[in-house]
Amino acid sequence: MYFQKKRVIAMLLAGGQGSRLKVLTEKTAKPAVPFGGKYRIIDFPLSNCVNSGIDTVGILTQYQPLELNEYIGNGQPWGLNKTHSCAQVLPPYERHDKKSGWYKGTANAIYQNIDFVDRFNPDYVVVLSGDHIYKMDYSAMVEYHEKHNASCTIAVRNVSLEEATRFGILNTNPDNTIYEFEEKPAHPKSTNASMGIYCFTWSVLRDALLFDEDDPKSSNDFGKNIIPMLLAAGHKMMAYPFDGYWKDVGTIDSLWEANMDLLGKNPTFQLRGSKKSTIYARNSALPSSYIDEKAVIVDSFVAEGCEVYGSVKHSVISVGCTIGDGAQIEDAVIMPGVVVEAGAIVRHAILGEDSHICRNAVVGGAFAEGEKKKISVTSKGAVVEANAVLKPGDML
Amino acid sequence: MNVMGIIFTNDATMGELTDKRTMASLPFGGRYRQVDFALSNLSNAGVRHVGIISRHNYQSLMNHIGDGEEWGLELEEGGLEFLTPYAQSSTHTYRGKLESLANAMDFLEYGADDELVVMTDSAILSNIDLTAVLSAHVASGKDVTVVTKAGICNGKKTIDLAVKVDDKGEVTDMLVDYAAPADYAASMDIFVLGKQFLIRSVKEMIARDKFHMDRDLVLGGWQRGVVSVNTFPFEGIAMFNESVEEYYNNSLSLINPEVRKDMFDGRHPVYTKVRFRVPTYYGEDSEIDNALIADGCMLEGQVKDSVLFRNVTVDKDAEVENCIIFNDTVIGEGAELKYAILDKDVTVTPGAKLIGTKKNPVIVKRGETV
Repeated sequence: MYFQKKRVIAMLLAGGQGSRLKVLTEKTAKPAVPFGGKYRIIDFPLSNCVNSGIDTVGILTQYQPLELNEYIGNGQPWGLNKTHSCAQVLPPYERHDKKSGWYKGTANAIYQNIDFVDRFNPDYVVVLSGDHIYKMDYSAMVEYHEKHNASCTIAVRNVSLEEATRFGILNTNPDNTIYEFEEKPAHPKSTNASMGIYCFTWSVLRDALLFDEDDPKSSNDFGKNIIPMLLAAGHKMMAYPFDGYWKDVGTIDSLWEANMDLLGKNPTFQLRGSKKSTIYARNSALPSSYIDEKAVIVDSFVAEGCEVYGSVKHSVISVGCTIGDGAQIEDAVIMPGVVVEAGAIVRHAILGEDSHICRNAVVGGAFAEGEKKKISVTSKGAVVEANAVLKPGDML
Repeated sequence: MNVMGIIFTNDATMGELTDKRTMASLPFGGRYRQVDFALSNLSNAGVRHVGIISRHNYQSLMNHIGDGEEWGLELEEGGLEFLTPYAQSSTHTYRGKLESLANAMDFLEYGADDELVVMTDSAILSNIDLTAVLSAHVASGKDVTVVTKAGICNGKKTIDLAVKVDDKGEVTDMLVDYAAPADYAASMDIFVLGKQFLIRSVKEMIARDKFHMDRDLVLGGWQRGVVSVNTFPFEGIAMFNESVEEYYNNSLSLINPEVRKDMFDGRHPVYTKVRFRVPTYYGEDSEIDNALIADGCMLEGQVKDSVLFRNVTVDKDAEVENCIIFNDTVIGEGAELKYAILDKDVTVTPGAKLIGTKKNPVIVKRGETV
């Protein structure tokens, strides 16, 4: 079979469990977690690829892949199902030389799929994570990488000195060349945090992956092994500054915050935009939403297929939800297919897909200004019985 | 059982609203075009070979339907075909359904495995389980099954084809293009016929210069005793959108949960072209009462008893009441709209007033600024 040569392809790391999302990722991989009313987290990197002119994407899956595989399907919603484009799901598989099995780390996942990448004979490979919310034109990063004749370019964002202790920090020269990489430094020398978005010259990455695989002590991870190895070997590595919105939604708090960032007349993260920044998603074929005369909706997102009879404030209501008469939703993220029955109160919460809050139940609570907000969470399909209480910060 | 579908796109009967589009591509229900109902009914019944017959103004329709992907009709075998007039056989546009079918004879004869044909149109909307109609047709052993709806005929509205049946369901009378009395049921312009029967009938009719499906084939054939007619009384909601007034009332009736449940039955979804709009944002001061709101809207003002399509902006202090607002329209600050239908891409300047009546809603044409 003939494969068209590609200048750039993307490899999307979507295999992680996302254990810090707790009950939300018990039955599904983190990239398949719903976001923003009608999206899933993976829609962001996938749509960014499409909007950047990258039409070949390998998606590395491992943890609970059923829902994710089903969601990606043949890549049709993102236009990745054409003759010379693809969204190829790449699960672990068995090989003749036993160098296979579960993906040991992020680098090993790509190592095990070198054959997939080689088919397209790409000049550059963009490596992405399936757990970040942002809009980015990867083609500009590839141009930058090419212009500087780099082996590896890493997207960075400026964080506060305090935050820097939680990230991989790249110390750079004034010309943005990287001279040092520190993982979660106690005393950060700079505030250039790695966004986990890499552009590699494929020939360099390919050699590095083969070398890394032969090192039994390596944990086969990009941040821990590949990047330090390339730096030590004297490769030219560039930091690519990015100042747009970007959020790692790996925790309950950050997932909640990222959803809240969509709200407001001039939101922190603007989903609206030109055709070139559209976020694509698999369509749910639901009708328009019905807003009853008793409903009050303030500063909120409501996606299609909803029926709203109650009050919704500063919240994200996803596709196919019902908010009953007299129900009160505030500062909450309501995932697809949720039913909140009459009189129920939901505050500072994330309600997982298809969960059901029965009559007069109370989920979560209010917090004083400045108080640490504890988010209550229900898992997929969970039922909070009538008049029951799910306390602030509790999970079901 | 292999079944072929044929959708007629219908003559435009709604003035400004259908100036540049067929009835099939007329927007309806917030996110749909009227043809989506026919296409989804066929798709949900497992029909995988569909022809769309259009006389003119089919550009917006082709743009909407594309290769039929959203309805699962982007197939190598069968799939979707546009059957538009072509000059070799006729330099004029079609004079009737039979003539357009004669023009589409290749399409009819191509699907060799198809035994039955479902014909449907784009101005009478329903969410109907066509598998039940097909089974009833086969069980009846008749030549043609007409899907009918009781309660539409009232002695005033002109009905394309009205059918009267006796207690046993046998047809006793039919009327064509007539203000039929209330004891007649109106045809929903959905027919089931054997494919070979249809091909033979079309050839015979055209040879005799007959073009009219209802008058010549169904009524004429039945009167001459050569066509046996079965009826399938449909129990669900059928929306006859043949005038602006009907269209307006039917659109707003979707606000009623019972109507919506019937038209958007979850087991038989209505599919449409995907637009990838963001969820609708309801602002600090928005007041939405009893309205059907599509995705992508920005709402800061008041909306009452109305249907808003995708990507509509309602600015602060604007009042929208009893209106149908098509996609991408912007309603400026403090504007007041009552009983109006605004086509797509309309700009209502701040403070503007547009007040129609229930019987005669104000219509603003596509792209206009008021």
